[in-house]
Amino acid sequence: MLRVSLKGVWAHKVRLVLTALAIILGVGLISGVYVYTDTIGKAFDGIFADAYSGVDIAIGTESEFSFGEGTYLDEADFALIDEVPGVEEAYPYLQGIGVTVLDAEGEVLSSGPGPPTFVASLSDPQGNTYRDTGGFTIDAGAYPVGSGQVVLDRGLADQGGFEVGDRITVISDLVGRLDLELVGVAVFGEGGSLGGTKWVFFDLATAQSVLQRPGKLSGGVVQVTPGTQVDDVIAGIQAVLPDHATVVSGQDAAEEEAAEIQAALSFFTIFLSVFGWVALFVGSFLIYNTFRIVVSQRTRELALLRALGAGARQVRGIVLLEALTIGLIGALLGVGFGVMLAFGLQLILPAAGIELPTASLSIKPRTVIVGLAAGTVITFVSALIPARRASKVSVMAALRADAAGRPARGGLLRRALVGGVILALGLGALFFGLFGDTGSGPSPVVYVGVGVGVIFLAVFALSPLVAGPVTNLLGGVLERFTGTSGRLARRNAMRSPRRTAATAAAVTISITLVALASTLTGSIRGTLDEVLANNVDADVVVLPAGQFGDPSAAFAPEVAERMEGIDLVADLTRIWIEWGLLTVETPTRALTDEILITGAEPNLADFIPPDGFRGSLDPRPGEVVIEAAIADDYDVALGDSLVIEFEQSGERPFTLVGIADGPAWAGIVAIPATDLISATGQDQHSQVYAQAVEGVGPDELKAAVEPLLADYPNVAVQTFEDLQSEAEAQLNGLLNFILALLALAVVIGMLGVTNTMALAVFERTREIGLLRAVGLDRRTTRRMVRAEASIVSVFGALMGIGLGIFFGWALIKALEDLGFAVFVIPWLPSSASVAGVLGSLLFWLLATGILGILFAVYPAWRAARLKVIEAIAHL
Amino acid sequence: MNSTAARAEGVTKVYGWGDTRVTALDDISVAFAKGEFTAVMGPSGSGKSTLMHCMAGLDSVTDGSVFIGDQDLSTLSDRQLTKLRRERVGFIFQAYNLVPTLSASENITLPLDLAGTKVDQSWFDSVVETLGVADRLKHRPSELSGGQQQRVAAARAMVSRPDLIFADEPSGNLDSKASADLLAFLRSAVKDHAQTIVMVTHDANAAGYADRIVFLADGRVVDSMKDPTPERVLDRLKSLEY
Repeated sequence: MLRVSLKGVWAHKVRLVLTALAIILGVGLISGVYVYTDTIGKAFDGIFADAYSGVDIAIGTESEFSFGEGTYLDEADFALIDEVPGVEEAYPYLQGIGVTVLDAEGEVLSSGPGPPTFVASLSDPQGNTYRDTGGFTIDAGAYPVGSGQVVLDRGLADQGGFEVGDRITVISDLVGRLDLELVGVAVFGEGGSLGGTKWVFFDLATAQSVLQRPGKLSGGVVQVTPGTQVDDVIAGIQAVLPDHATVVSGQDAAEEEAAEIQAALSFFTIFLSVFGWVALFVGSFLIYNTFRIVVSQRTRELALLRALGAGARQVRGIVLLEALTIGLIGALLGVGFGVMLAFGLQLILPAAGIELPTASLSIKPRTVIVGLAAGTVITFVSALIPARRASKVSVMAALRADAAGRPARGGLLRRALVGGVILALGLGALFFGLFGDTGSGPSPVVYVGVGVGVIFLAVFALSPLVAGPVTNLLGGVLERFTGTSGRLARRNAMRSPRRTAATAAAVTISITLVALASTLTGSIRGTLDEVLANNVDADVVVLPAGQFGDPSAAFAPEVAERMEGIDLVADLTRIWIEWGLLTVETPTRALTDEILITGAEPNLADFIPPDGFRGSLDPRPGEVVIEAAIADDYDVALGDSLVIEFEQSGERPFTLVGIADGPAWAGIVAIPATDLISATGQDQHSQVYAQAVEGVGPDELKAAVEPLLADYPNVAVQTFEDLQSEAEAQLNGLLNFILALLALAVVIGMLGVTNTMALAVFERTREIGLLRAVGLDRRTTRRMVRAEASIVSVFGALMGIGLGIFFGWALIKALEDLGFAVFVIPWLPSSASVAGVLGSLLFWLLATGILGILFAVYPAWRAARLKVIEAIAHL
Repeated sequence: MNSTAARAEGVTKVYGWGDTRVTALDDISVAFAKGEFTAVMGPSGSGKSTLMHCMAGLDSVTDGSVFIGDQDLSTLSDRQLTKLRRERVGFIFQAYNLVPTLSASENITLPLDLAGTKVDQSWFDSVVETLGVADRLKHRPSELSGGQQQRVAAARAMVSRPDLIFADEPSGNLDSKASADLLAFLRSAVKDHAQTIVMVTHDANAAGYADRIVFLADGRVVDSMKDPTPERVLDRLKSLEY
């Protein structure tokens, strides 16, 4: 009997370790994200405090625009500050984006995806220098003075291998090539970089010229006369500056800037920790299943306790106490794991080119509390139902050998009914959100979200009903190839549909998310292919390269002029893009959205022919043409008047003269180019589309255009195939990133399979002994256990893929307005690349089958190692 | 031509170490003739189950040799032992004889299926007919009575025509009617099909079905008896201070 007890301890250890592991991984990810982002936040707090330490008052501007380039102050207004009592000195500065630095070989140093390159003034023409432009100080050399001098940030200087005194070339998007002398190197805060951003500094007049904002300022800093009240000076300055100027104390400015960073970080925190919560949710199924199996295995022991006088409440308490203990241990280790994770991230991210300021790890009480609470509460809640069942064990079960672990049969019909009703409710909510008129109630997304959650529940309630037939089918396929071990595995997988379903459920959740991500990226890819291949009638497009993917980024008009000069170009159209606030006001409602406004030439529609349109496609001054989906959103018709507010020039009225339909027009609000130029005060193009003459292919045209762009390294000519493969690469990157985060949930789901198999092997010791006695060899024993794990995993994956496809379809329906034109189920790899394969659903079906085998290696090994006579003697 | 189905030569089996050291078999030598129904009797702890486990290749011996036919089991690997068990040895245990997920028919052919051997349908039919389980073949073990389960186990033991069948208290959990039925079937298998059976039991009535009884005590063979009757067995057990 001692041997049997030891086996019990062994089984106990495995379930402790696996349950705790699920908690450790989930809590670890959540607390790791907290520690890491808190640490970055702390570092930024320190940096901004340093940056503003010598600044009494900071002056800036505010804007209604989230995406625009910001508003400006006039130098004339700023000059008034000097007259304000208490102002000792006021230093103005200008900041913006739009330059590219070339290395010694003339190659672009700072383009491509990634943090943008900023331009800023670091001193004024009078040679007045001050240490602040958002926290930068000169580390080597001197401040830039005059139009021939430039200062780079340390990262950019090192990247280009530049020394102070070198001649360097900087290309301005707006004014072209500049040959400059590098007179200094600046560092951010205590010698770091600002989140990997790149900086090019000039004196004020040069910065104004490079950014084409003559006489304009982004803001300034003020030093007050010693002994004056800063608040009084602030009020004085506010009185002389326009309304959109912000005037705050240096301390407030530091706090505000830090708070902005914190807000950006908190998005990052939430996004990343969602995956931790998903992992914990998956883990909760593992925990639930573990306790369910353990309770049924211990039925006789629990019944004996009842017979000896333990109350139902006490029995429940025993189980819950065990859950609490495991949960607490797991959560404690999880928080520790999280700290290590954060430490690891600090080491790894800089190596991956993501430079963020660092500080000593910041472990806030919130991190520990959330981590511990999440781990213990989830374990506790997951064990509630098994504990309730434990408390219902009858005393008779102690006396009857066969009473243990027999599932209740009568519940199936009820389960089918309840599950069916829940499913109907979920589907109802989903379809109402998608196709119904939600009127003034919650937004459709809420209905879709609730529907998705409820459908999940329904599927888990119903899955035991289909577990039998489906595993039978899967096992049947397996049996064909593996014979007896396959048959035994199939029967084993079928013997407890509820256990199989609960184990598979954990796999289902993670695979649902994987399939959803794959379906969404597949559909985005499909939509892009559709738009680019079938809806754009152009051979090449010229675009700004890099600059953070801002669609409103622009380049000099000379590019289009040069293109017009080559014979291979049959026709081209120039496109100006700027952010605007589109407002429609009717007696019943007012709607405002920040949206990209396209400045179009009359021939635009030749390049992006719509599927259909009403009215005109050629807006005259004061007129606007918009896409049908936007017209629907704003509920406007031809002839209605719309107001577009521009950041630099304010509101302008437009009359709606055309509504266009079709994928290529998705999101387009087009006004005449002349209107946009006068509204923004700048005549730079954001895109140029070109058609080749008859008989010339896109690649040939591209080759002809490329030499024209030699002076504009920040501008790229691309064929639509290039665009497709570039978009493909970005999508793949996104998918890989999400899959990497989901990997944890997948692993926990698979650990659930390990756990169930380990418990099943323990439970079936006697049976395995019998099989071994009558001639099942060790290898086949292992194969039997692994095959069962594989069947259960694939069953989970099948449900997950089904749900993922369905949810993906629902989401695409709900987001149709955003331009999703096609729905793609990515069964097969989209390309031979790693990401292409990872995006394929068949791959995941196969992968879970193989993962099932891998994660059952340990239980299979245990099963094969059972000593036959001991196994027979067991129980 | 060797007429022994299996034999043990000077077999010693020791469990544990030091103070917990237990000698289950003490230099035991015994042979089981082909076509004979042998019962192994002895008090609890006499080593009768250990002897069976060692002779069936389920457990290793500390010293000595065990032969099934001419095959020395001590020279075999685990895989070879497994193969030997499914091809040349049949088992009937006291309880938990059947795999719950398989039907009666699948349980019966399990050793053949594992070996990848084709089932001899006429032999299968005659075995299930003899054991009276022909009409229960589609049923799962949980749908069979205890007697039926043991007879299905007996059918499984016989269907691969093993050199010998080891039966460990096969009627131990059965009522007297089912017990008598099962033992009569085993008896007739020996008589009609020249099957060799070695049965461990402590039930004098069960032992009465055997051709010969081997008595064990303290890991040694202490006596044997030809053509026993329950009365003679009981007398002998008394004389062994059982």
